[in-house]
Parts: sequence; structure tokens; C-alpha cells
Amino acid sequence: MQFGYLLGGGTPTIKKYKMAAGHAAGIIVIVPAANATGLSTSTTTAWTESVGLTLDAITAEGSPVAYSTTQGAVEHLQSVIINPDAVLRALLVGSAVNAVLETRTIGTASSNGLTAIGTTGDTDPSSPDMDEGSVWYASGANGGASRVITSTTTTLTVTVIMPFAANRIGDRYHTIDYAVGNIAGVTMGTNLLNVRGDIASTGAVAGVVDLELNGAGNSFLHLVQRDHAFASS
Amino acid sequence: MSVTILAKREFSAKEVVAAQEAPGKTVGRTAGSWVHDLCALRKVITLCPLCTHKFNPGRLGYRKEKEFPFVQAKCDGCQTFDVKCSAYFFEETYHEVRSTAADRRAEKYKQK
Repeated sequence: MQFGYLLGGGTPTIKKYKMAAGHAAGIIVIVPAANATGLSTSTTTAWTESVGLTLDAITAEGSPVAYSTTQGAVEHLQSVIINPDAVLRALLVGSAVNAVLETRTIGTASSNGLTAIGTTGDTDPSSPDMDEGSVWYASGANGGASRVITSTTTTLTVTVIMPFAANRIGDRYHTIDYAVGNIAGVTMGTNLLNVRGDIASTGAVAGVVDLELNGAGNSFLHLVQRDHAFASS
Repeated sequence: MSVTILAKREFSAKEVVAAQEAPGKTVGRTAGSWVHDLCALRKVITLCPLCTHKFNPGRLGYRKEKEFPFVQAKCDGCQTFDVKCSAYFFEETYHEVRSTAADRRAEKYKQK
């Protein structure tokens, strides 16, 4: 993930912390687990009591190294941006190992623009359920346009309330289970850097501030941490 | 005989995290050598207005954060918390952790 901006404007606060493990740059770190020294790593589905986003990695001569528990070895530290209102920009991916998002293809045209009906072979949009998420076109008359999904069916159909222009067979589109204001949570890829767009929204407590809906490999979510160690609760 | 009552204290998340902050350079270490060690490890460097002019980011492969002219941080040079520090990121890894308006603008015009 990348640090994008602060919800309240203003100035980022960066602190260097001791780490309980060698974390990658661009992941969320959380309050230490019991008996751990230094901040702990988040998981693909948990950002409980998050502290912030790491801004650098633990490296030696430019290469990441494992955290050392050897007596006398140097202590490792990493820089963390700790603002609770930091907006994080996360790439949307189509699998746990960071495949690109699925590109669906219109199989049955819709003249009223209220439905997007996929092609046999596309993933069923009702399982994982994309309802209340977003659908957007990457080609055709609707290229670049997006809408909130209001229902899904097992017949490869997603329905919207605010109509698109009429689509045509062969138009390419994408669906995700995220829309602005979604607070159901995110599931990260195994590298903890990217958000999985191929499954229903659940997992780490994050709120969706904004969407950057581009292509299959360059669409992003803007997220805030909703269970932050420095936010009042 | 006096009685001692041992009460286990419950630390808040904020207190636990505050205790994990790195102390910075050791006593007797010069600031320049400490900052150069951090640079060798590709760490983010934060320097206060009094120290920042002593650092040449270009020579060490660093770039100054310009979208945020100031960050609140402890100066890696004089170890003072300052609300007007400058932040320097290692150039090669800058885009792993930072998204600027220019990046987001460029992404919109990529081939879909």
C-alpha cells in the first residue's frame, strides 16, 4: 500500500519504531502481541489496534533481512506513519497471490443500461457476492463509467439503479464488493500490500474513502484504518 | 511488618506503542554517521530545519518529499521532535509507499 494523503489535510507524523519481525515496506503494523518486543505485523484479515503504515523495510545493503534474535545483534527499526486519518492507497487484485482483477465480458446486451450480464465462464457475481459493491466498464460506450450494484443473481447478472448507457455484447467490465463508505472490511493478499477484489468485503477493519477504478491491473481503493491505537475509542 | 500489595498495571495500547519507539543514535555517536547508516539501510530520513541543509539527498539516492513540505517527526540529526521536519525517501522505493497526485493522474490515462 501507499500513503496517499490525510483526511484532515495537515502534516503526516512519522516515527521510527522497534519491530518484532522484519516487516515489508507498505504494510500495516499493529500493537505488539503479548510478550513481543516491537510492533507486530498485521494479517490478511486483521488490522486490530493498528499503529500505521511502514514506510521502509528492514534491509542490509539494500536487501531485506530477517529480524535477528541473536544476542548482540543490532536492533531493527522501521519508519511508520502513525496518523489515524492517513488514507492508504491499495491496489485491487484478483487473488491472494496478486493476479489481476477478473475482466468480465457482456454476453447479453442491455438496452436500458440497468443490467450487466456476463458471459458463460465468468465468475458468478452472486458468489462471492458483489451486491452493494461497484461495477465499472473498461470498454464500450460506458468505458470509465461506474455504478453501485444493487443486486446480483446466479445468472451472471448485476443490476444497478442509476442506468448506464446501453451496452453491447463484448464490452468489458469489472465488479468488486466495495463502494465508497464500505466499512465491512478488507482482505489483503498474502503480501499484505494489496486488497483482494475477487471476494466479498470482510476482514481487516478498514473504511473505503474513495475508489480509483481504472483497468484490471491498475485500480485502487483508498482506505482508512478504523481500529487505530491512537484514535480515541 | 509492612505489607506490599502488588497490583498488575494494565497498559493501554498507546502506552505500549510509545514504549516501542526507537531511541535514535547512541550517546557519543556523531549525527552524520548515524544518518549515513540509516541511508545505507534505505530508511526514511527526517531532519529538522536546522539539520536539513547538512544533508545532500541526491548524492545518496534520496528524494525529498515535496507533496508534504513538512512532517512531524524526531530529527535524525539532533534527535529533537520537530513539527517542521523534512522527510527524505529512498528514491528506488519511494513509489512502494507513496502515492502522489501526479501518480494518480498518470494512472487514469494508462491503457485500460
